[in-house]
Amino acid sequence: MISTFFKHELKAFWRSKNTGKNIAVRIVMAVLILYLLFNVVVIGYFLDAILKKVFPHDPLTFSFCGIILFYFLAELFSRLQLQELPTLRVQPYLQLPIKRNTIVGYLALTALFSVFNLWPIVLFFPFIFKVILHDAGAVTALAFAVSIFGLSVLNNYLALYIKRKANLNGWIFLIAAAVLILIGMADLEWHLISIRNISYLFFGNLIKQPVLALMPAALGAGMYYLNFIYLKQNLYLEELSAKKAKHKSSTEYPILNYFGETGDLVANEIKLILRNKRPKSALLMSLFFLCYGLFFYPNPAFGKMEGFKIFVGMFMTGIFIINYGQFMYSWQASHFDGLMVSKISFANFLRGKYLLFTGVSTVAFLLTIPYIYFGWHVVLVHFIMYLWNLGVTVNIVLYFANRNAKRIDLSKGASFNWEGVGATQLILSFLLLLPPFIIYLPFKYLGLADIGLAVIAAIGVVGIFTRDFWIKFLEADFHKRKFTVLDGFRNK
Amino acid sequence: MIQVKELKKVYSGVIVVNIPQLEIKKGESIGLVGNNGAGKTTLFRMMLDLIRPEAGEVLSKEQSVAGNEHWKNYTASYLDEGFLIDYLTPEEYFYFIGGLHQQTRAQVDDLLTGYADFFNGEILQRGKYIRDLSKGNQTKVGIVSCLLQNPELLMLDEPFANIDPTTQFRLKNMIKDAKQKGVTTLVSSHDLNHITDVCDRILLMEKGKIIKDIATNSSTLAELEQYFAIGETASLVELKIDEEENH
Repeated sequence: MISTFFKHELKAFWRSKNTGKNIAVRIVMAVLILYLLFNVVVIGYFLDAILKKVFPHDPLTFSFCGIILFYFLAELFSRLQLQELPTLRVQPYLQLPIKRNTIVGYLALTALFSVFNLWPIVLFFPFIFKVILHDAGAVTALAFAVSIFGLSVLNNYLALYIKRKANLNGWIFLIAAAVLILIGMADLEWHLISIRNISYLFFGNLIKQPVLALMPAALGAGMYYLNFIYLKQNLYLEELSAKKAKHKSSTEYPILNYFGETGDLVANEIKLILRNKRPKSALLMSLFFLCYGLFFYPNPAFGKMEGFKIFVGMFMTGIFIINYGQFMYSWQASHFDGLMVSKISFANFLRGKYLLFTGVSTVAFLLTIPYIYFGWHVVLVHFIMYLWNLGVTVNIVLYFANRNAKRIDLSKGASFNWEGVGATQLILSFLLLLPPFIIYLPFKYLGLADIGLAVIAAIGVVGIFTRDFWIKFLEADFHKRKFTVLDGFRNK
Repeated sequence: MIQVKELKKVYSGVIVVNIPQLEIKKGESIGLVGNNGAGKTTLFRMMLDLIRPEAGEVLSKEQSVAGNEHWKNYTASYLDEGFLIDYLTPEEYFYFIGGLHQQTRAQVDDLLTGYADFFNGEILQRGKYIRDLSKGNQTKVGIVSCLLQNPELLMLDEPFANIDPTTQFRLKNMIKDAKQKGVTTLVSSHDLNHITDVCDRILLMEKGKIIKDIATNSSTLAELEQYFAIGETASLVELKIDEEENH
């Protein structure tokens, strides 16, 4: 049965409308991952030498045991942002004579095929073979290997569990990320706890008592089981949530009335965002990214680097454009036919998008003003990037929106609807992040950093003032592709 | 009002619509019948510029539909749920559609009171999004949103499917009313009784071609029933023989 699922998924991949794009993205991803993996292999192989350099006064095993827990905390944090959830369209199989356990087991097991699970092995196993096997014997080395494997599995399923929960309720992601950041701060900034000592407490004792290795293994197995149970229960989720009938009221946004038809379109889109789980998560994620400045600005190493301000400023004021805009107009796929035959000109439809992005970005920019604490220059860079986002990023995103013909079914619950959540999306966002650097860096190396910023701002302003031109351009461009887009959206 | 010229649509080598010539005059009420796959919905979609024909064109008021937007001002259509914005409440949707035609909320409310019977108390003020309504009720929302626009051309694809018998009768009267007001109507249906009752002119489609174009009279229903029944009995007979051979 599992092999049948696997075959079906391969077919779904090859026959999907966007396969061309998927493969291109996958190749970029594969190259990046191979490069990262190569780095990790090198670090793993020379880990003993590196540890001696970093902690010259501590015994080697002590430093090694100390960093393991650190690594796994950091890994959990990056998993939360990057790891993709394994997907299988379960609906068509549910009513067939296939055991629920098989379906759920497949979903849960395939989650192990993630590059993240390769990293700890590549990173730590060379050290175990080189040092621990030599110093403490085969049994201890095996205990270390089992523990690291167990923790890796634990992390894997914990991250997926949080991600699945977060798909239903965006706040959970924010809370989980905040907890991890607080733990990190508690050690590094406030020195309340020492993750190093906690890590050593376990791994140090592991050398004496190899049996302890069963603990992480049990935790890993337990987390797998929790995931299994959760998935199994939630195979029903659609029906359950549909029955909860809450009174839905009609809403109005009086301020948008000033904008006439465009305003009406924006009002509808705001309702789209607030009343559907997936776009709502995208909005909440944007809130989370408003904290990105807190990672970079307090750190004196980054503080001096202008480039980071550009990066952070672009992300904070434009993440909604990037995150939500990437899936345009797929959000409206289910009623796109209706929009096309209604008395709406496509130019007004586009103006609605511009208005929405301008509104959200403006709010985001206003929310970043408190960063003035780190100097007025920070806010100035944010403002420049805000202009850039509204003048340039918006146009790029909408240009690609014209080329996107993949349907997203919002009416389906979010619990089993994970298309495009994860690394692929971030990679595409990074592509959008490149152009300002391409403009800025040459100026910086000529020692004209401020002129570089001014050029970015100028391009942004030009983009904003030539909007009518871009609207005409995008409209003409859309009419060339209209039928492909419509056909794709109709394709369930 | 509408002219179709040399219209052709091909899907993977199979011609699904092939109409050399069709003229619909203002105020006419047209019924479109034909078995599944006859090309009714495809024809509708081409008339609404939703799919690109391989050849030919559709003219609305002497102007090509493709690439133009003039027809949107006087054409109202409901083909399927894909025409509804399903995360809005019905009220919000009606206000939105009304707003596109410069109607205030009060005007829309006023017009909606006229459809209270049709809605049967299941649509307005129920605190539900359109996506939570049953298929029949979604159809009602779609049909009323069309009538709200005071169209000159009304296009409905199988409006009688999914709705209850009482509503079907009400819908028939609504379409007849629209016809009285001079609205050009184009309705497709599998229900031969309804369609011959409502429409003055019936177009029968088979494999993409219009094979019959008849003005409705007392013998039309019998004529159509005869056409559809022949295919029916033939396939039934075939099936029976098949079964016997198997046993």
